[in-house]
Amino acid sequence: MLLQSHDLTKSFGGLVAVNQLSLKVEKGTILGIIGPNGSGKTTFFNLITGMLPSDSGKVIFNGQEITKLRPHRIARLGVGRTFQIPAPFSKMTVLENVMVSAFLHTSSMKTAKKKAEEVLKKVGLDEKADFQVLNVTLEDRKRLELARALAIEPILLLLDEVMSGLTPVEVKSAINLIKQMHHQGLTIIVVEHVMDVILSLCDRVAVLDYGRKIAEDTPQKIVNHPEVIRAYLGERYRARG
Amino acid sequence: MPLKNAHTQPHTSAPSWRWALLGLALLIAFLLPWPLSPLWIRIATEVIMWAGLAQSWNIIGGYTGYLSFGHGAFFGVGAYMTGIVMLHLGWPFALGLLISGIAAALMAVIIGYPTLRLRGAYFAIATWAFGEMIRQIATILEITGGAFGMQLPSYLNLPFFYYLFLLVTGLTYLTTYLLLERSPFGYKLLAIREHEEAAEMVGVDTVTIKIKAFALSAFFPGVLGGIYAYWVTYIHPDSVLGAQLTDFMVVMAFLGGIGSLWGPFLGAVVVQLVNRVLWLVWGEGTFYLIIIGAAICTVVLFIPSGIIGLLQSRIFLPGTAWKEIRKKVKW
Amino acid sequence: MLIDGLLIGGLIIVVGIGFSLCFGVMHIVDFAVGEWVMLGAYTGFILVRYFGHDPMIYLPIVFLIFCALGWAIYPLIYRAVSGKRHNPVLMGLVFTFGLSILAKGGALSVWGYHIQSITTWLSGKSLALGPLTIPALRFSGFLFGILITLLLMLFLYKTRLGITIRATAQDREMANLLGTDVRKVGALVYSLYAGVTGMSGILIGALFSIHAAMGVKYCTMAFFVVVLAGMGYVPGVIIAGLILGLLQSFVGVYIGGRYNLLALFMVMYGVLLITPKGILRRGI
Ligand SMILES: Nc1ncnc2c1ncn2[C@@H]1O[C@H](COP(=O)(O)OP(=O)(O)OP(=O)(O)O)[C@@H](O)[C@H]1O
Ligand SMILES: [Mg+2]
Repeated sequence: MLLQSHDLTKSFGGLVAVNQLSLKVEKGTILGIIGPNGSGKTTFFNLITGMLPSDSGKVIFNGQEITKLRPHRIARLGVGRTFQIPAPFSKMTVLENVMVSAFLHTSSMKTAKKKAEEVLKKVGLDEKADFQVLNVTLEDRKRLELARALAIEPILLLLDEVMSGLTPVEVKSAINLIKQMHHQGLTIIVVEHVMDVILSLCDRVAVLDYGRKIAEDTPQKIVNHPEVIRAYLGERYRARG
Repeated sequence: MPLKNAHTQPHTSAPSWRWALLGLALLIAFLLPWPLSPLWIRIATEVIMWAGLAQSWNIIGGYTGYLSFGHGAFFGVGAYMTGIVMLHLGWPFALGLLISGIAAALMAVIIGYPTLRLRGAYFAIATWAFGEMIRQIATILEITGGAFGMQLPSYLNLPFFYYLFLLVTGLTYLTTYLLLERSPFGYKLLAIREHEEAAEMVGVDTVTIKIKAFALSAFFPGVLGGIYAYWVTYIHPDSVLGAQLTDFMVVMAFLGGIGSLWGPFLGAVVVQLVNRVLWLVWGEGTFYLIIIGAAICTVVLFIPSGIIGLLQSRIFLPGTAWKEIRKKVKW
Repeated sequence: MLIDGLLIGGLIIVVGIGFSLCFGVMHIVDFAVGEWVMLGAYTGFILVRYFGHDPMIYLPIVFLIFCALGWAIYPLIYRAVSGKRHNPVLMGLVFTFGLSILAKGGALSVWGYHIQSITTWLSGKSLALGPLTIPALRFSGFLFGILITLLLMLFLYKTRLGITIRATAQDREMANLLGTDVRKVGALVYSLYAGVTGMSGILIGALFSIHAAMGVKYCTMAFFVVVLAGMGYVPGVIIAGLILGLLQSFVGVYIGGRYNLLALFMVMYGVLLITPKGILRRGI
């Protein structure tokens, strides 16, 4: 097991955003997490990466408990993540953004720059390396998120809706990119609303609703799971009413 | 219109004419005391001291994005430390300076640890409260001479102080250049300023980095305070811990352009020269406060990247400037 | 002495409520708060000098003048803290900081360092309350504080507009989502705050003294009150105002007047470190 969470819980005031969540991720696999808006997917990522302290429960990564570690220590152990809403370092160039990540493993400017250029090439941003972040499109910001996470050379990658807002063509190229990273041995957790993406990528899928895991199985079984259908249908009814 | 700052492309190397310009400026700075009268040497000395102070503030306020409104405390502690070391211990001035710098940096580390957890306005208010606290303490303690202050042994040698300030301020800029514009440390600081959580997610140890930056930005004011104390020989809480110290650091850095290498320098030159020229023309007055207040408001509203940003943009002509203003303010 | 402290606290509460709302609605910390007090005091002083009469009757006029001033300045403040600003909080802080330098410099240039005072028909009279004698002026200042606080509270809790303002102060993003025009609410709050603060300035001027550099003292007190209350949380201001009064009296009596400011700053700093959302943990 690369990552395990045991009864992880987090509440904001009265709202329990993540409720006794236990998940396991096998090394070298892709786990999908789906669930309606506000079901706690992003909060779960925030708990794993240490951005938010958990109320109770444990996170074990690579055999080591990381529940109370500071975020940068967790990143150092090899957990990379992207932000659902891109959070670039605005007043820097694309290249410089990625260099900050690269400094995790080197303190040489030259090495960091080379590393950053490599990663940018991988995500297809190499031509915009010297652009100010303020001047690049949303799609490129999402790629930048990915590049920044990859440049810390993670073992586990947490992707928070990297495809939302992209055109079908862009989604396709993103899927290929993720598959490619997976082949290189990366373990990945994907949060996504688009079922097609989940189906084509994941080995297993977990479904969250109101912070609880209501199902976990292979993608094929999940799409026929009655409770999953109910949770999503319910969501649609709410949206209409 | 995003104004580009020079520091956003630190990996491109500066053209050679800049180096030539820098060399020329240094040469002028070295020769300056010869043609000047004592009064003007004094003024030049002040300008240089303020340039160093403004840059020190810029390290934490500009590059890291944590507005310290209590930075005067580090200057004051430095001044008093040198005073105490020379007066009560009878140790040499040089040792006093070293102790001043270390004491200020140490204080920054100690208060930085809890204080740097606060953000935005909270950090600003907390540092302000801390700075005022230090002033009150200096007014009460006996070793600092309380409200009456402290008389140091006098050493009347204008050029000596001029060159000493020049050296320390020069080191401030050199450090900023090497550590903030040309090294991973600087990149990490900018990352913290732009998005602290995201910086943590890519493995930046934000707590340690911020404390280091804070200590660095306190060290130089500590040393400068020590030199100042020996220069003016008489110090008291209002002169070395007064609110105007922090005020001017902030104002100069902002006017010149925060988060840039030369912004604080320009700000210091402009503000201190205006201040002194008005003083020469009208004598002791408060008119400069109006000018500075209006200037700082204008900068915030229209040229947030300061004089340095203005130099890099094209709105020099009054007509264009007025159009910009009309476009930007919606009444 | 104890009563004294409370009386002053009463006036600071008025300033603090406006100040706190400003932070909640616009996310600005007004460094110029003390200068509004100072300008209010001078306005009262000038009105009395040129038109005679008792300063108390000028309270509403000064209120209106400062409301208008606040309204006029607001677009600039809004511009400083909004738009594509790189760091709005920072810009807001520095802008009001610039305003305060400007106002202080202006006042110093016009009136110099002289200390003035306003005399009212209440000056010098005192009130016997059982075994206590209280200077009538201080007492009326206190009454004024209570009155304005009550009015403000009524406005904030009983009127639609007031409730909108409070909701915006507690959670600006949510209010924005719900369709509140945050810019307009901000304009209203800022002019209200300027008006009330300027008006308190007259009383503060009458109670103590007027000089161009007086602002910093009231700035300190306002910051103290708002930090203790939890920034943006109005009811906390009242409790914090009382604590300010008690602390001032206590330190003055038992430790010594010269430790007064030190105590204020230490408490303020300590509260920020330990519980940045205020002693009631209700700030934003
Ligand atoms: N910092 C926070 N403070 C208060 N409440 C929060 C915070 N972060 C998340 N929440 C709340 O927790 C719940 C779960 O939010 P979360 O962002 O984890 O959902 P999500 O599954 O990622 O939703 P989406 O699909 O919209 O991204 C939501 O109701 C949200 O409002
Ligand atoms: Mg989410």
